[in-house]
Amino acid sequence: MKYFKLPDLGEGLPEAEIVNWHVAVGDQVEVDQLLVEVETAKAIVEVPSPCAGTIVALFGAKGDVIHTGEPLVEFDHQESGDSGTVVGKLAQAPGASEDHFIIGAAPSSRQAHHARATPAVRALAARLQVDLDQLSPGPAGLITAAEVEKAAHLEQQHGAAESLKGVRRAMANAMAASHSQVVPVTLHEDADIHDWAPGTDITIRLVQAIACACRKNPAVNAWFDGTSMSRRLRQVVDLGIAVDTAEGLFVPVLRNVASRDEADLRAGLDRLRQDVVKRTIPPAEMQGATITLSNFGTIAGRYANPIVVPPQVAIVGAGVVREEVVARAQQIAIRRILPLSVTFDHRAVTGGEAARFLKTLIMALTKA
Amino acid sequence: MTNLTMVEAINLALAHELAADPNLLVMGEDVGVNGGVFRATVDLRKTFGPRRVVDTPLAETMIVGAAIGMATQGLHPVAEIQFMGFIYPAMEQLICHASRLRNRTRGRLSCPLVIRAPFGGGIHAPEHHSESTEALLAHIPGLRVVIPSSPLRAYRLLLAAIRDPDPVVFLEPKRIYRAVSQPVADDGEALPLDTCFTLREGDDLTLISWGAMIQETLKAADSLKQQGVGCEVIDVATVSPLDRQTLIASVSKTGRALIIHEAPGHCGVGAEIAATLQEHCLLDLKAPIRRVTGFDTIMPYLRQEMLYMPSVERILGVAAEVLDFGR
Repeated sequence: MKYFKLPDLGEGLPEAEIVNWHVAVGDQVEVDQLLVEVETAKAIVEVPSPCAGTIVALFGAKGDVIHTGEPLVEFDHQESGDSGTVVGKLAQAPGASEDHFIIGAAPSSRQAHHARATPAVRALAARLQVDLDQLSPGPAGLITAAEVEKAAHLEQQHGAAESLKGVRRAMANAMAASHSQVVPVTLHEDADIHDWAPGTDITIRLVQAIACACRKNPAVNAWFDGTSMSRRLRQVVDLGIAVDTAEGLFVPVLRNVASRDEADLRAGLDRLRQDVVKRTIPPAEMQGATITLSNFGTIAGRYANPIVVPPQVAIVGAGVVREEVVARAQQIAIRRILPLSVTFDHRAVTGGEAARFLKTLIMALTKA
Repeated sequence: MTNLTMVEAINLALAHELAADPNLLVMGEDVGVNGGVFRATVDLRKTFGPRRVVDTPLAETMIVGAAIGMATQGLHPVAEIQFMGFIYPAMEQLICHASRLRNRTRGRLSCPLVIRAPFGGGIHAPEHHSESTEALLAHIPGLRVVIPSSPLRAYRLLLAAIRDPDPVVFLEPKRIYRAVSQPVADDGEALPLDTCFTLREGDDLTLISWGAMIQETLKAADSLKQQGVGCEVIDVATVSPLDRQTLIASVSKTGRALIIHEAPGHCGVGAEIAATLQEHCLLDLKAPIRRVTGFDTIMPYLRQEMLYMPSVERILGVAAEVLDFGR
């Protein structure tokens, strides 16, 4: 407030005479502090200050008559005293805050995918207690009433389906992605490992042989991006090792296998396996493989068509070592045989490169 | 960077453009000597002089009409209508001239004009000082209607409005003129017009609002977050033309939409948004699109105005119905 005007003192009287000022120009006054005594026709009235501030001017001296509504006191007009409006009252900021926003839609909105269905189908699903997110959409990307009814019928007959979670879900996604992108070709061949010293660590020999074969055939140890049609030949061989657990498939990465000795590799592999079993393996330890080994021969199986997981371009599968009757130097012999399967992504690797890789791999494995 | 309120940010944007653009002028009732009834134009006349910051008579038709004439002939007027409730005499100028000059002259004339007007209630003001009639303006083809909801967006959107070659009505939510203080750099950077702003990211419910109601909407979102509900909060910002893509993308993700505005619900901008979402998101919707709005009545006087305004409680009540739908 800049000017304080003489208020109606409550008696409907149009004027008052100044009896005594209790403040002077330059005084700092508080709210409700006594400013002036005025005499109306009926009584002496004390007029308090309506606000705090410094007095700039007093209008009228002792004995002067002031009319109601005329200025009585002028206060120092501070910016802080400015309410910032001519009408009503504006809320004042309690303190500074931060302002964060995204221009347009949030990234999560652009990537969102979930079940799409008409309201009638949603109502049907709610009535039949079918979770729409568990159903696969039809050709139009839309879940139909027939699919909801089928799912309800299935559930009634055979109980609820188990929803995949965690590692198993990740495997399903990775394999589906691979299937939709990679152009796989698989080669099968046997390695004669009969001359190995007794007690040779098969897995470590496989790791070392893959490292050796990658060094000689760099096209196989690479990352390929099918969208930008580009590849990166990797200098270091970081080998993904498929580890089977009850929860699902884990593929921890054994780093830089080409420059590590046998004992170091075995210790590293054991540690990875332990971490997987204890579920303490950090996600970073399962990323960045340049090629993968699936040693299913520790369980059963001879040959396979292992699945290449992008951006890698190759995977080696090793089956069960067996004793087999073979022709050898014009003789029939019984030899220990390690069956091998190599799948490569034919978008990134030629048949020749893959075959040479397999040949080098077998030569490395055949050595005593 | 200085912390500014919205009204200070608007003053800063005007000063920035007055300095940068010699053809720009600010005009309106009390904008010069007085500095504006809300102080939005304070000190501008002192800095830029009476030819750039012009006090006009109390005649809204003349203010907008003169501004249109200036805009077509090379000036860039930023005219203030002191309160949105005073804009109606100028509607004829906006509808019959400003919005259609480009069309009428087949592109020979454009109308780079900004009309600023404080709007909305909640400050205990008298009649004509509290309404939100943005839908009237949003219904005029050729007119942009922009409503900021924070000091920074006010600064950057006002710059964008001034630099736009076509007429923009810039409605300022006066209830939050001084209610929020945020860092604003005077860097002259504009934000795009015709786009929404996503203030919170969430998967369960899209809350759509603009202007001062963003405050209540954010409080409701915070409250829902504590209950484990992720709200996406979208500030529409340009109510005409609507950024449909952003609204559709968000509601396609969440499957639930709640529109909050202060204006009466009947034929409000929320109705247009609901219709748009229904047309594009039907297959993703998990619940009906709902609105929390002012009531279909004349804005009440100050004693009852807070009953009229959508409150956090009303928003939370309807949000609960949306979230529980079909469960």
